[in-house]
Amino acid sequence: MPTGPIKEYADSDGLYGRVDTQCADFEGITLESGVFLGPLRVAYETYGTLSPERDNAVLILHALSGDAHVAGIDPNGKLGWWDAMIGPGKGIDTNKYFVICSNCLGGCKGTTGPPSVNPATGKPYGRSFPLITMGDMVDVQAMLVRHLGIEKLHNVVGGSMGGMQALEWALRYPEAVRSAVVIAATARLSPQGIAFNWVGRNAIYCDPASATADEKHSHVYQKMGRGLAVARMIGHITYLSEETMEAKFGRQRKLKDMNGISYSLGENGEEAGEFEVESYLEHQGSSFMRRFDEDSYVIITKAIDYYDLEWTYGSLANAFQNISAKMLIMSFSSDWLYPTVMSLAIVRALMATKKDVSFVELDLPYGHDSFLVNAGIPSVTRILRGFLNGVR
Amino acid sequence: MCAEVVEIRTPFHQFEVGFNVIIDLITPGTRVLDLGCGSGTLLQRLRDEKDVEGCGVELDQDKVIRCIERGIRVLTLDLDEGLEAFPDLSYEYVVLSRTLQQLMYPDRVVREMLRVASKSIITFPNFGYWRIVLEYVFTGRSPVCETHPHPWFNTPDIHRLTIKDFREFVRKIGAKIEKEIHIINNVPSNSTFWPNRRAEWGCFLISSA
Repeated sequence: MPTGPIKEYADSDGLYGRVDTQCADFEGITLESGVFLGPLRVAYETYGTLSPERDNAVLILHALSGDAHVAGIDPNGKLGWWDAMIGPGKGIDTNKYFVICSNCLGGCKGTTGPPSVNPATGKPYGRSFPLITMGDMVDVQAMLVRHLGIEKLHNVVGGSMGGMQALEWALRYPEAVRSAVVIAATARLSPQGIAFNWVGRNAIYCDPASATADEKHSHVYQKMGRGLAVARMIGHITYLSEETMEAKFGRQRKLKDMNGISYSLGENGEEAGEFEVESYLEHQGSSFMRRFDEDSYVIITKAIDYYDLEWTYGSLANAFQNISAKMLIMSFSSDWLYPTVMSLAIVRALMATKKDVSFVELDLPYGHDSFLVNAGIPSVTRILRGFLNGVR
Repeated sequence: MCAEVVEIRTPFHQFEVGFNVIIDLITPGTRVLDLGCGSGTLLQRLRDEKDVEGCGVELDQDKVIRCIERGIRVLTLDLDEGLEAFPDLSYEYVVLSRTLQQLMYPDRVVREMLRVASKSIITFPNFGYWRIVLEYVFTGRSPVCETHPHPWFNTPDIHRLTIKDFREFVRKIGAKIEKEIHIINNVPSNSTFWPNRRAEWGCFLISSA
């Protein structure tokens, strides 16, 4: 297997180079709800070369707002969302592994989801898209993996919602995964998590500009209302730690005169925000509006809400019974959305069922998103490289 | 944790040979749990030399990462918060090396060890060692040695136990001493004369009676 020099840790620099998203088409899938969804298209990207033995594949699982473009540079010049981790010599070394990442079912970046055209009506599904589960998303990924001619994955790795999927892979397809890395995830979404998702969806539902499925003929994200932006802002608050917010923004204001205080809500009372933290959220919200679909947001957050292995299998130990993969569970001390105790619940159940599990709690201050922020990359790189190396 | 290091006054030898003592006690091909495994040195040797299936427990983040890099199974857990997640007799051996004196609740942890594995190996610095005792007697101050360089007010070694203390403790919790090895000047021996005063390190193999 060709190997190049190893980078201690890397930046998002698009080192892998140009990548194009590809598509695989399937007849359809019977969802956990019993509904048949078809035809089915899966958007994916691959990096590196599949070994002749077909034993070096690593499947990356994205979080709520991610897509198939995980590394390298797309035709528009955009860097992959985990480019710092994936590439030649990086934590997940594309000189060594064949890396796959697909857009999840229900997404809006090429895989069948609410923006896709419903063949029955000739219009986009919109909010009439059938409700899906984490298991459905994983089943679709498994179809893609088989389509690529891979029987056993060297590793599945994901953070947040991707972590739920990594866990789901290990228990649903024990014969198809040699190892799984579950980062900042939970086996059961907390009521607090459900609550935040509910508020996010409500922001979308309350938005008069938010279209219903029937009225929607085309999908131009910019035309949609602010509901999705508000949902994203709420999300971003939950992804950051209090400490990071303090360090990043403090109480800094945009306005420099009047001691930085305007004593005004702006023209016509349309407040634009005075504090840096407000600008940050505004930026996150509006850029999300341009790149994401509100109905996908609704469908995916519902799937996250439904995620509860204890309820599905009676107990975690029961859910984990068939797992044979080497497991690595990772949590971040400052993550209050999916805190360490939730990872520990997974770890304890894996220990109780005598599975090969490692558990790392990283003391990083960046909250739920620690695995994505550049400052968290060095530690996560060392861990992933070491763990993937140790999998036989 | 303990940034401040004061002048080393008390001669006391490193544990180096202790790893060999522990490895000698372990049957090849068994499952071993190492509590306070550090960066995984012992588990790596056990894997390479004795084909042992190991698992470590460690709190220090850098050491945990080092374990993962070495391909060693590791869990970030606080020993004082209990081992209840480990099923009964899930290991053949559980090792607690050079950590007993640092635990908040040594009795709880040792009882749990006896539940989790059929045999427990415990090593600790013997604070009954004559040079340490002389330090108290002649300088009137707490010992500060190379192996335990922290001042009394900021040391992880919160229990300063002796070999005699440990024997009594094992009896009290109803366990049985299978083997007792003493290390003096980097030489292990199981027939030391007056070990409580002469040994620097105690190494015990115990089991539930």
